[in-house]
Amino acid sequence: MKPENPLHLTTQKCTTGCPILDRFLAGGIPCNSITELVAESGCGKTQLCLQLVLSAQLPISQGGLAASSLYFYSEFPFPFRRLQQLSSSFSSSHPDLFSTHDPCDHIFVRGLQSADELLGLLDRIDTFLTNPPSRLPVKLIVIDSVAALFRSEFENTPGDLKRRSSLFFGIAGKLKLRAKRFGLAIVITNQVVDLIGSDTANGVRVGNLSCLYSSGRRVCSALGLSWANCINSRLFLSRVDEIAGKETAVKDDEGGNSVLVCTRRRMHVVFAPHLPESSCEFVIVREGVFGLDER
Amino acid sequence: MEVSSLPLSPSQRGKLIAAGYTTLSSLSSVSAPDLARDLNISEHEAIEILKVSSQSSKKIDGCHAIVTGAQTAWDMLYEEEFMTRITTSCADLDNILGGGISCKEVTEIGGVPGIGKTQLGIQLAVNVQIPIDYGGLGGKAVYIDTEGSFMVERVFQVAEACIEDMPYNYPQKDFQARKNKMQPENFLANIFYFRVCSYTEQIALINYLDKFVAENKDVKSVIVDSVTFHFRQDFDDLALRTRLLSGIALKLMKLAKKFSLAVVLLNQVTTKFNEGSYQLTLALGDSWSHACTNRIILYWNGNERYAYIDKSPSLQSASAAYSVTGKGIRDAASHCKRVRIM
Repeated sequence: MKPENPLHLTTQKCTTGCPILDRFLAGGIPCNSITELVAESGCGKTQLCLQLVLSAQLPISQGGLAASSLYFYSEFPFPFRRLQQLSSSFSSSHPDLFSTHDPCDHIFVRGLQSADELLGLLDRIDTFLTNPPSRLPVKLIVIDSVAALFRSEFENTPGDLKRRSSLFFGIAGKLKLRAKRFGLAIVITNQVVDLIGSDTANGVRVGNLSCLYSSGRRVCSALGLSWANCINSRLFLSRVDEIAGKETAVKDDEGGNSVLVCTRRRMHVVFAPHLPESSCEFVIVREGVFGLDER
Repeated sequence: MEVSSLPLSPSQRGKLIAAGYTTLSSLSSVSAPDLARDLNISEHEAIEILKVSSQSSKKIDGCHAIVTGAQTAWDMLYEEEFMTRITTSCADLDNILGGGISCKEVTEIGGVPGIGKTQLGIQLAVNVQIPIDYGGLGGKAVYIDTEGSFMVERVFQVAEACIEDMPYNYPQKDFQARKNKMQPENFLANIFYFRVCSYTEQIALINYLDKFVAENKDVKSVIVDSVTFHFRQDFDDLALRTRLLSGIALKLMKLAKKFSLAVVLLNQVTTKFNEGSYQLTLALGDSWSHACTNRIILYWNGNERYAYIDKSPSLQSASAAYSVTGKGIRDAASHCKRVRIM
């Protein structure tokens, strides 16, 4: 057993494909670590994941990992069309890199039905990681989403909860082992649950933000405290639908108010070993997810 | 001291007393052949008896008891005055801890994700290296990472800030000259980092630490971040888990004593079902709570982070606010004294 010298350890980061978000995340998604994206549906978790599997293919000089990626999805169906759309705009913006092949060649997709299936797959994944079926090594694993695997199958009984939390630690342990061995960046998405009642009723505050708000509701991330112990960083994506302005409010034919609503999205650091509490506004457009410079 | 209390066989003791050798001092001047003749035993046996008696009298001279390694409480008190502590860089927290995390002891620190356990661990790994002239220990650190949260860029920031703050805490004239020697790179190089990916590896490493620290004498702190993670996976046999964990705790306690270094174990929290409601408690169960000498719980109080001394043989229960800043662990932002003794 030899100690490692921290001077020789460098944390490689995978660019998000947007310089503003990269700056916000101090370079991107770190390797050898599990990053969780928490948000209610429609906030851009999957969008960001799709963008990551593309930008991971960029050469290291451009902030990427020069790597292919593995995408587990448990929320059916897989958004193939959106990936296609992002991929074509991605390859047209990097014509020198993707003249001969399609970026989608370096994305391996696999559907997941249950947590046990994921656990079993992780045991068999090593041969895939050592001999990837593509030119580029696999350096990014996305699991979208972990909550869908757990939210249906388990009852709220002590026995089931115990089984569930030991599965959490089993999956996280296997993922972290491979993250370390192969230098993987791991991104996991998670859903939120509504928080009902006062602070004291729930008691557990996780992370820097005293409470998470999305769409005007108070939420907290799904799967509870024991899952929060399994991950290294947690990012929270929120959305607020804002009325764009009074002038734009127009009466429609039936006399109801119809207003122009614009959605404002923010990314917050809930906790991360290397990032302070902060947030960054972002937009989702046709070409992908981009941060907004607020300065 | 009486001959009867010597660790000898009853027949030998009987012969000694019968021949008039009742006290240890009476044995101190007699030679082996004389003793053999007086007791009517072999010379070899007489040598053995004299050896035992001289060993016992040596211990008495040194003011020590029969059991090797035992100390009087007075000696321990004297030693405690010289006990070194590692500062946490938060004055209030140091205050309730009596100066910082104590060497020679095992301290457990637990809290919810994001409260700053890893930050405190990194801070201690850096602070143990503050030179002795600046009130530090001038030691090195062993960092055992089981979770993968040790980020080098963050350690660099904390080390940089630590060097920057040193002249404010201990103003000295020649700081500029010394500063050139103190570089964040050196602070990083003095952290022995072990990444552990399974509980077997964790146990093996802790067994190996004794040898490692013996070879690297400067190691003054061992930080395990976290002791928990691998022990919450696939453990159906909870009795086995308890045995393994108490083995780890014992080894670390021995290590702390032997090399007078601080052992800091970071722990996670879990919910415990108690009398019809769920309560937050540190993970690994009730038997583990006996394993560590000191126990500090980190928690949120409104928007402030607090540390609470849950268990300590020498410190009062108290809580203090701290904050996690870009520089590392620092005083709570409000800067007013908030130490509360409970």
